Amino acid sequence: MTEQTNDTKETAILEGIRVADLTTGSFNYAGRLLAGLGADVIKLEPTEGDPLRHWGPFRDDKKNIETGGRHLHLDAGKRSIGIDLDSADGQAVAKSIILNCDVVLESFDPGYLDTVGLSFESLASSRPDLIMVSMSHFGQSGPYKNYHGSEIVDVAIGGYLRLTGEPDREPVKPYDDLVIQHTALHGATATVVGIMHRDNTGEGDWFDVAAIDAALFLIGGPTQSYFFNGKVAQRNGNRLLFTEPQYLYPSTIRPCLNGYVHAHGNNRNQDLLAVLMPNIGLEPLFDTPMGNADKIDDIMDSWLSTRDKFEVVKLAQELRLPFTEVLTPEEILRDPHLEERNFLVNLEHPMEPNLLQPGHAALMSETPWINRRAPLIGENTDEILEGLLGIKEEERTELRNKGVIQ
Amino acid sequence: MTARALNKIRVLELTTAVAGPVAGCVLADMGAEVIKIESPRGRSLKSPGAPPPIEGAPDHAYNRTAFFNELHRGKKLLSLDLKQEEGKDIFLRLVENADVVMENFSPKIVGQLGIDYTELKKIKNDIICVSMPAFGKSGPYESRASYGPGIDAMSGLSHLTGFPDGHPGKPAQFYCDQNAGLTAALTVMGAIRYRNRTGHGQYIELAMLEGEMQLIAPALMDVIMNERSPNRTGNKHERFAPQGVYRCKGDNEWVAITVRTDLEWQSLAELIGKPEVGKDRRFLDLNGRQTYHDDIDKLLGAWTSTITSQEAETTLQGAGIPAGALLNLNEAFSHPQFQHRNTLVHVEHPEMGTFPHTRTAWKSKNENEGVAGPAPTFGNANNYVLNELLNFSADEQQELKDRKIVSDAPLG
Repeated sequence: MTEQTNDTKETAILEGIRVADLTTGSFNYAGRLLAGLGADVIKLEPTEGDPLRHWGPFRDDKKNIETGGRHLHLDAGKRSIGIDLDSADGQAVAKSIILNCDVVLESFDPGYLDTVGLSFESLASSRPDLIMVSMSHFGQSGPYKNYHGSEIVDVAIGGYLRLTGEPDREPVKPYDDLVIQHTALHGATATVVGIMHRDNTGEGDWFDVAAIDAALFLIGGPTQSYFFNGKVAQRNGNRLLFTEPQYLYPSTIRPCLNGYVHAHGNNRNQDLLAVLMPNIGLEPLFDTPMGNADKIDDIMDSWLSTRDKFEVVKLAQELRLPFTEVLTPEEILRDPHLEERNFLVNLEHPMEPNLLQPGHAALMSETPWINRRAPLIGENTDEILEGLLGIKEEERTELRNKGVIQ
Repeated sequence: MTARALNKIRVLELTTAVAGPVAGCVLADMGAEVIKIESPRGRSLKSPGAPPPIEGAPDHAYNRTAFFNELHRGKKLLSLDLKQEEGKDIFLRLVENADVVMENFSPKIVGQLGIDYTELKKIKNDIICVSMPAFGKSGPYESRASYGPGIDAMSGLSHLTGFPDGHPGKPAQFYCDQNAGLTAALTVMGAIRYRNRTGHGQYIELAMLEGEMQLIAPALMDVIMNERSPNRTGNKHERFAPQGVYRCKGDNEWVAITVRTDLEWQSLAELIGKPEVGKDRRFLDLNGRQTYHDDIDKLLGAWTSTITSQEAETTLQGAGIPAGALLNLNEAFSHPQFQHRNTLVHVEHPEMGTFPHTRTAWKSKNENEGVAGPAPTFGNANNYVLNELLNFSADEQQELKDRKIVSDAPLG
């Protein structure tokens, strides 16, 4: 595989940490982050492949379980072994692999791992310092643990969905699996918490990560506001959720000649907006900017309607007004900033050799961020079984013939 | 109390806005001592929406804003003017006794203050420094100013959030800040572990834009693979149909529903009393249900409008179909599952009384405290730092306060 580390740093932050990754869907982001930090992440997937592999986009819309876009991104840097967890032999192999790992990540329905002999208790009885991170929609226990979740349902119950969208229309979900992917980020962070705790005490731990918690976490400040003043925040379009009349405005998205700009006031000097858009009546509105938001929008719109978004942002930024362009995906791919920072990378997948995808989530001066292409199904089965468990070729062939491994 | 993951780790936090403070909260919750350093002149004395003080507490409105309290739980606060030479000296002496320095100043300000990684490494060789710039410390947008929603705009997230016939949208409050904050906490903890093993500190650069763009991969790839222009898709889903938010009985009441399989669709048709719809050939498979999604939405909306969102949720969940009432924040806070999970942790603030904070999304056997404590009142760590950590005499401390290098109250 091609290592895309354009530097000479050799030892990664999580070098030496081995992770068994049994997650599916967007929960796979946890393992991707840990692989980026240099952990050896072994993706234990069904013999027919993780259902994530059926998620697009696909080139020319032709489904291919090796080249789905979300798989290529969320499984980057991992190794793959295909195992049938429904068979006793598969369960035994999976257990042996897990017991050779520091960490196990999983996102099954709560209770499923009990039914295949891989509960935390049974694993920890063999390896007391094991760290398990279970990610789910509602959590591993409690009255709603068996509820059926999805991104939109998790954000509904998590109080997040009501806060997104225009006030005069039904609430609208955030893009794609935003909250589930954020849950996976909490899962990756919990993993390192577990490792630090283990370093200090020798103890393992079981982390219970829930998407509804992540939804609530993302809401932030309005949570406290409610407890302070009893005001229940409501969706406010592109405006901030704090609606006191004297609150800063604009912070919003407005149309211009060729798209949209994000318009934002300078919170130390509200008058700067009137320097950008002079002599059109903004100044008298600044005593209570949020209270005058509709009027400020009308005035800004008239000024913006004849102007190019890139030009507007350039002028605004020169005045230290934090305006930005609302970029489309096509514009992002042409963006000179991301190009100069080598953020989008081609990981040279043999079946998708001309694809760019997001690279580093962090840059570190001493240790590399690992970008390595996603594995084919079972690409590393032999090396993992031989190298980790010492299972010889003859036995592997037998397991393969029985359909236990792929 | 059980042993904590970041026991004996000291973090100096020089941050504003949201992302840096979120990172500091997470590190504090995991047992680090986080000292936030704030300029005596940096804080507004006005605090719109602040609640009254509790009985017997001083009336310092600047200590009672929602925004500050949410973002600084569990930290200590040193009020220090880094622009004065003696202030900077105090900071550098603290660095000698710290493990991590986090900042999200603009690159220009860090240079002016003379506290970049190269300088701090001279003071403490294995220091870990974290910068959380909006766009990164290189590239054409390095010096651009932006807050969270502006970064959401440049990442593609705004373009992709909302209805196809509406404007680009903003998800709830912000996304990239909390995302960057958690990513920073993750990376910093990894770097501490690496330092513990190798003796090497390092400099971590976490561009908020790049952390956020980890979410945008599918849209970018669709452009490359299919020369398509991905647009907003409202509440619809690529692989599940129907999916949507449907109006229920009552004012502004809604339920979210996802039908994942053909079988779930059959069950749903039965539940809404329209078995013939379940047999309608147009709707039998995903492709058909996507084609006729708007017709299905009308059918479903007609059913949900006759019942409450809780009734819709319970009925559908009973048949194994993902469904959830859209809860207001106050309803979420009293929801049995959040109560069971202790997602909101109550802590007592000396001037405001007891308020809950949202902990991180995990709970565990060992690291289960959840939230380190309340947000600090202004300057609450001044004496701790000057007395206990740096051993200034009483006279020296008074002089620092007289010269407004350290201050016990904001100077406006």
